[in-house]
Amino acid sequence: MLAGSILIIAPTEWTSSFQLAFLRIFNWPLGIGENISLSVRARGRVDDTNAVPGEKYRALLNYCTSLEAQLRDERERLNKLTGLREKFPFGNARLVEALVYPGSIDRAHGEISVDKGKESQLAKGQFVLADNSIIGTVSGVSTGGARVNLFTSPASNIPVEIAGTKRFMRGEGNNVAKILMMKDKPKIGAEVMAAKAPGLLNAPIIVGRVARCERNAESAVLWDVIVEPVCDIERLNDVVVIVMNPEKQPN
Amino acid sequence: MRWFRFAALILFVTVLQASALANLNVGPDLLLILVAFFCFYCNTTEAITTSFVIGFAADLISSPIPMGVHTISFGVFGTLLAYVHRVINIRNMPFQAVAIFTTALLVGALSQMLALFKGQVVAANIWTVLLGVSIYSGIVGPFLFLPSAWWMRIKANRFARQ
Repeated sequence: MLAGSILIIAPTEWTSSFQLAFLRIFNWPLGIGENISLSVRARGRVDDTNAVPGEKYRALLNYCTSLEAQLRDERERLNKLTGLREKFPFGNARLVEALVYPGSIDRAHGEISVDKGKESQLAKGQFVLADNSIIGTVSGVSTGGARVNLFTSPASNIPVEIAGTKRFMRGEGNNVAKILMMKDKPKIGAEVMAAKAPGLLNAPIIVGRVARCERNAESAVLWDVIVEPVCDIERLNDVVVIVMNPEKQPN
Repeated sequence: MRWFRFAALILFVTVLQASALANLNVGPDLLLILVAFFCFYCNTTEAITTSFVIGFAADLISSPIPMGVHTISFGVFGTLLAYVHRVINIRNMPFQAVAIFTTALLVGALSQMLALFKGQVVAANIWTVLLGVSIYSGIVGPFLFLPSAWWMRIKANRFARQ
């Protein structure tokens, strides 16, 4: 009783030091207890000032779900592009990701259409990547879209390297390309690489594999090599166009 | 009386009251429930001593209410309850609940008056809060007697008048 009386009479500045000391000593367990109670209270608590009608809530939830999906998509895109940069020495080249228009894949003629065009600095002849392999080159560009000739297109004729030799590979349609008149017969399954092309491609990248070899119709001592792509064209959703010398975009 | 166990119990309950229960607008006063517990299950001397000690613990966590307020109010009404228990054996839970409720109301009223005396500004809804705390303490209190008795190694069915 006497202690209580002394405490109550004593100046508050002195006595409050006891309270502060207690808070300082038991700071950790006090913090834990406070967090537990706050988390329990936060669950199921409705703040009237932030409450919205059910209809608006559903609309916001849908918007939020779409945003999350977009964010995931952007992350995947970023990972894909940075992964490509790590895998291949593209230097200052700009990698333009483009979506393949659904239904635009023409397997017979070896053509696809993509959703990026002039505004993304796409130009004729630029190489197009998919599944870490070259699938073709840009054949025509317009605003908001471009046509890509797959290397299996009859209109395609690109330089390639096979078994250490440089040759031209011509598309044959129906998802195959042909390298004509090779002196040595390559192994089945041997890699065919797109050859470096100044201003278009600065590193050899795989294009396809040897599917079979046929005797040349004109000379029986030479071989025609049938090449199939290493990328599944039918399941193509997006591609990456290599823009080797991008112009600086105005800010 | 096992004083070491008593100290540990008071420390734990004080921290609990100042942290987990501090965010509740109205909740039970665990320290006051302990005052009632020791008054019901200990001899008068121990009950009075524990009432003052628990009051001091309540003062430590009652900032910005100045210190001493709870020491006096807990001590005074703890002593009173201990003496009442010498005359009336409060055995049943409903009676214990009423005793806790009444003690909580009286302790709260005295604390507020002492705080006013010290120049502390009292909240406008203090009496509503006080009533809520008393009701909560009265309801919860008797149920906390059993774990408290187990911790203090006190036989809960011991009701000898002393």
